[in-house]
Amino acid sequence: MAISTNFWIWIAALLTLAIYSFLYKDNPFYKFAEYLLVGISIGYGISIYWHNTIITKVYNPLVYDKNFLVLIPLLLGLLMFSRFFKNVSYLSRIPIAFVVGAGTGLSVPSSFEFLFKQIYATMPLKLDIGSLIIVVGVISTLVYFFFSLEHKGFVGKVSKVGITFIMVAFGAAFGYTIMARVSLFIGRIQFLLSDWLGIIK
Amino acid sequence: MLKRTLLLILFLILSISLFSENDSLIFLENQFPCEGFYITGRDIPNDGGSGIEINWSFPDSLDNCFLTVLRRDEFGNNSVVATDLLVSSKQVRDVSSDEEPSRVKDGIKYYYTGILSKKIIDENLLNILKEKSYLKNGTYIFNNDTFYVTSETDAVISKASWFNLSRIPVLISLIIIAFVFLYYLNLAKSGKELYIRKINGLDAVEEAVGRSTEMGKPIMYILGIGYVTDIPTIAGLTILSRVSKKVAEYETKILVPSYDPVVMTTAQEVVKEAFTEAGRPDLYNKNDIMYITQDQFGYAAGVDGMMMREKPGAVFLQGLFFAESLILAETGHSIGAIQISGTTETAQLPFFVAACDYTLIGEEMMAASVYLQKEPMMLSSIAAEDLLKVFIMLLIIAGFVISIFAFGFNIGLFKNLFDHLVNALQV
Amino acid sequence: MKFINFINNLDKRWIYLILALCIIIPFLFPVGFPMKTTPPVKSIYDFIEDSIPEGGVVLIGADYDPSTMAELHPMAKVVAAHALSNNLRVLFVTLYPQGAGMAQDVIDNVLREWNKSNPDNPKELGKDITLLAYVPGVSAVVLKMGEDILQTFNEDGYGNKLSELEVMKGIKNYNNINLMVELAGSSVVLTWLIYANGRYGLKMGIGTTAVSAAEYYSYLQSKQAIGMLGGLKGAAEYEHLLDEKKVYGGRKDASIGMDAQSSAHIFFIILIILGNIAYFVKKRKEGK
Repeated sequence: MAISTNFWIWIAALLTLAIYSFLYKDNPFYKFAEYLLVGISIGYGISIYWHNTIITKVYNPLVYDKNFLVLIPLLLGLLMFSRFFKNVSYLSRIPIAFVVGAGTGLSVPSSFEFLFKQIYATMPLKLDIGSLIIVVGVISTLVYFFFSLEHKGFVGKVSKVGITFIMVAFGAAFGYTIMARVSLFIGRIQFLLSDWLGIIK
Repeated sequence: MLKRTLLLILFLILSISLFSENDSLIFLENQFPCEGFYITGRDIPNDGGSGIEINWSFPDSLDNCFLTVLRRDEFGNNSVVATDLLVSSKQVRDVSSDEEPSRVKDGIKYYYTGILSKKIIDENLLNILKEKSYLKNGTYIFNNDTFYVTSETDAVISKASWFNLSRIPVLISLIIIAFVFLYYLNLAKSGKELYIRKINGLDAVEEAVGRSTEMGKPIMYILGIGYVTDIPTIAGLTILSRVSKKVAEYETKILVPSYDPVVMTTAQEVVKEAFTEAGRPDLYNKNDIMYITQDQFGYAAGVDGMMMREKPGAVFLQGLFFAESLILAETGHSIGAIQISGTTETAQLPFFVAACDYTLIGEEMMAASVYLQKEPMMLSSIAAEDLLKVFIMLLIIAGFVISIFAFGFNIGLFKNLFDHLVNALQV
Repeated sequence: MKFINFINNLDKRWIYLILALCIIIPFLFPVGFPMKTTPPVKSIYDFIEDSIPEGGVVLIGADYDPSTMAELHPMAKVVAAHALSNNLRVLFVTLYPQGAGMAQDVIDNVLREWNKSNPDNPKELGKDITLLAYVPGVSAVVLKMGEDILQTFNEDGYGNKLSELEVMKGIKNYNNINLMVELAGSSVVLTWLIYANGRYGLKMGIGTTAVSAAEYYSYLQSKQAIGMLGGLKGAAEYEHLLDEKKVYGGRKDASIGMDAQSSAHIFFIILIILGNIAYFVKKRKEGK
């Protein structure tokens, strides 16, 4: 393999290097790449929304299928823009009320089911040291997040166990985070060495 | 000559008949090994109507066959419900859809037939089958492909259910929680003081502000990159009020670099009010609560630079933080400030715990703001949540004790009890 | 003492430089650290390998963007290739606009590599694999798919009518999907677990970034997900499993990176030990 002759790979590689140059110190190359990213992601988002929402969910049903019911959600959606005009801004509360109402209605039962599933998962389906650790961990952590009681005496001791569990979980999460950040860097290095420079396969 | 002609005619007839037979259905008795395959239909329970569920049971040997489901209504109209389903998928739902004009309607009798084939079903065959009013149960041949037609199901009528009975445990829990919350709210409103424990990090506020003052350094309060609608940001603003009051008492300076203009304006109000409450409105400087930028890492870079220049003695990181959390906390640590952090983002908490002196973990942060504000609505929600936690703990402990008797001592009664408990949780 | 001061005052840029070398060198001179597959990865692999009949459907959720592509892209490729190797159908779905680009890239890549190494069993876009069009709404989309997938999307990600595609034959809703593997680094995984798994009983596997892996372990334990690929390591394990089948010749993006990952981890462990020693020594000295 040899160095890439693809123009876009060169662009991608140079932008990657521009972003990494920040590690040495802040500089105009980094700033350029950063602003480019912000701009492009907004532009990309708008084009996707245009095609997949306005065209397929509003324009097509309205023009081709003559489905005029679409006008109702369209009107509700447009009311959101009333926030930009002070004297009618209260109108934006109507669509927000719809979204909040429907969202709560959908999420409350589902959240409960989710909670039930997690409680179910804590139930020791077989007796072993693993399920004991889980039960102790869950209960002591719950005690730590108990605010109506002073953390003294027995409650204090249990919450100490709880915070220990929390810290162990944080340690695991921290380790995983390091792993993730390294992986991201590896992905870029792989791109630079293989797709761009062609040093490795 | 005649013999030859006759033979030729016979041959022609035969071949024509063979050819034409190829495109029509030939009924064979049971040749496709489909014993044990039958389909049943029923109204989908706990739904909003216009839906029928078709189930089938099958022997393992038919795992890789395809099933096409046809529907006949009481007026004799046929339609295709679904084609080429994998037999192993066990179920299909015939639900109303806006595109199909012939959708399932409530209150009409429907009869379903399944067509089992080893290959994906032919488009022509499908059209022929749609024309037929009734197909006898048995094996057929079409274009050399064998397929099996099941006997028709009994009449199925779909109806809407008023209640989803499978969610009764959810409803019961919802009622209990609402009741507990309202009970505590009433209690709080009637003037009874609901207890809320001291939060460790909050005690450190005074120490941090005091030490910073001794060193003659300002205090920095970072609200993260949330908006005023985010609960952690609101909690952060409440804690800011407490911190600025202390700042005013100690006659020192507080810097609040902001990410969002609305958060900035709110923070200005909060600090001003706190300074006034502390009797030192003269110390308040609007320019100390400034806007940086609404770009995540731009904000982090801006705050970092300010930290390096101003060298605050205490840094508070209270609010919503994402990937910039470590950048901020690390810089604060490097200038030797006392740091008190708090956020609900679990992924960022490890960084705060590692780099800060005190950290309010998740719900602690909300509780801290309730502790400071002591508003009845919030106090009662904390109390209700605590009671709910007790309930969950009891449930888990009960499950644990029962499972010891059930699995450890092998007592049948407890095994049944455990099964009931576990089933109730599987909504 | 000099050493302790050196550590405490070390310019961070030296650490960046050493880390970069720790990652680049193993690429040039691979060591081949041994690989062990973990149960959460194996259970997804086994499910696709043994529990889905030919012609079955695997739904892959590509809910990520370039920022977590390094970890999740290899997962998408290897899971899709594995499904194709068992003659299953593969559908990609995304709840985020940027995910569409990711999924299309995976589809292109997997189809090209597959057809190169298996000319006798070619796979086609629209027949064996496709991407459902992006539709905004997140949880509303997940819920509607439970009723009718064709109606939720109408089109595939390339603008073809779904009802005319062979790959969609016999697919109505989640009942006709044998497994969903959700690839995401955000809480959208929960949306799938709550609505698709919770309400419609869709069988799910999770592929997530290492950052979120610890968080999602609890859903494995509760059996809401059958397995999980955590970070680049999870992807590499899966590649390792698929490699033993010798059916797919695509580049093993994750496995190549594993040496670099291991050497970076060793470097970090050394840093953490040194940092802690320096911290405690300094604290002790200040205490005196």
